[in-house]
Amino acid sequence: MTDKDKNDNKNPESGLPSDDSPSESGEFGLAAPTGKFGDSSQTDHPGGDPPAANVSKTSAKSPGDFKQMNWKGFEEEEEDPDPPVRFEKDTETEHDDLDMTPMVDVVFLLLIFFMVTASFTLQKSIEQPPSKIEDPSTNVIEDPEDEDDYVEVIIDQTNTYYVTSRDAEEVVAPSDREMRDRMRDAKRTSGAPRLIINAHVDSMHRKVVTVWDAGNAAGFDQIEMRTMEEDY
Amino acid sequence: MSSQEINDVLPRRKSDDETDLDITPMIDITFLLLAFFVMVSKMDPQLPVDLPPALNGQTIPDKTAVVLVVLKGEGDDDYTIYKGRTKSKSDAVVGDDAIEQEEQIAEYVENELSRNPKIQVILIKAEGDVKTGAVETVKRGVAGSELGLTRKLYVAVETTQ
Repeated sequence: MTDKDKNDNKNPESGLPSDDSPSESGEFGLAAPTGKFGDSSQTDHPGGDPPAANVSKTSAKSPGDFKQMNWKGFEEEEEDPDPPVRFEKDTETEHDDLDMTPMVDVVFLLLIFFMVTASFTLQKSIEQPPSKIEDPSTNVIEDPEDEDDYVEVIIDQTNTYYVTSRDAEEVVAPSDREMRDRMRDAKRTSGAPRLIINAHVDSMHRKVVTVWDAGNAAGFDQIEMRTMEEDY
Repeated sequence: MSSQEINDVLPRRKSDDETDLDITPMIDITFLLLAFFVMVSKMDPQLPVDLPPALNGQTIPDKTAVVLVVLKGEGDDDYTIYKGRTKSKSDAVVGDDAIEQEEQIAEYVENELSRNPKIQVILIKAEGDVKTGAVETVKRGVAGSELGLTRKLYVAVETTQ
């Protein structure tokens, strides 16, 4: 900002035309004889230091002659009616440019902030039916032979899966992957809408979640959870 | 005569502008890096829970949930239930008996829900290595609260992509 002002200042001083020299020199040429110089210099340099330099320029004789030589050459070109308006426009655009940068900064920071907070919510959840507040031991023993067909996955105390459905034989599934395959087969052959997870209390929570997740993926409408305390 | 001098002056002006312009993106990038590292290093002040992995999970309003954390202890059978997200001794559920623990959990859930009736979700954050019986204790405790029965119950998982 101040550097640029100095540059604008230097060009007329050394008598060199720059990109916007016609308007500058025009202003200078107009202002000097009419005594409006103070006003135009104020609009030109709000900084404070440059106006003083301008005044010294006009008052000093030897550089003034040098300048006038150049100004005369340009005075013919410019017939601008109101150069000060142009200058105000210039300063306004400079202000606009300056306002953008911090705004863009802040916008980027907010963007980053929200991206980071969004990507960190990796935690998801699986809905569970409310637990029945009955005596668990009686709850386990009763046979789940209700109206609907079902597929049952048993997790025993050694975290081994057993997949069974109403009509099918019980199949041991030692691995997670095998359990998923067996469950999908059982779902396809029986078309049962219900999955019953029967987990031993000493089995790992991880295994229950795996079965529940596989049940969701296989498309069961209803998933029930039971626990047993006797070894299977 | 002046065109020669233009060429002398213009490059100097350009270099002045360039030094001005160089600072801004540097500051930008510095701030971005700062923000990045602040986020990465201090994003999870909650106690770390080794959640079980799952492919299908729902996103729930975690911030406004009654949270119960079940952590694995030293031994195979040991576990600790915490009322809330923090790992402070005062929030731990004490009692060796499962029935005692259920009563404490039911009381906690009932208190939280009567204090904030807008909460619709109860979230159990149980580690994958915890035994099913411990999670079942928490579930029965939630079911022991009348208000808890009217809310939805979730088990937290970690989605693997």
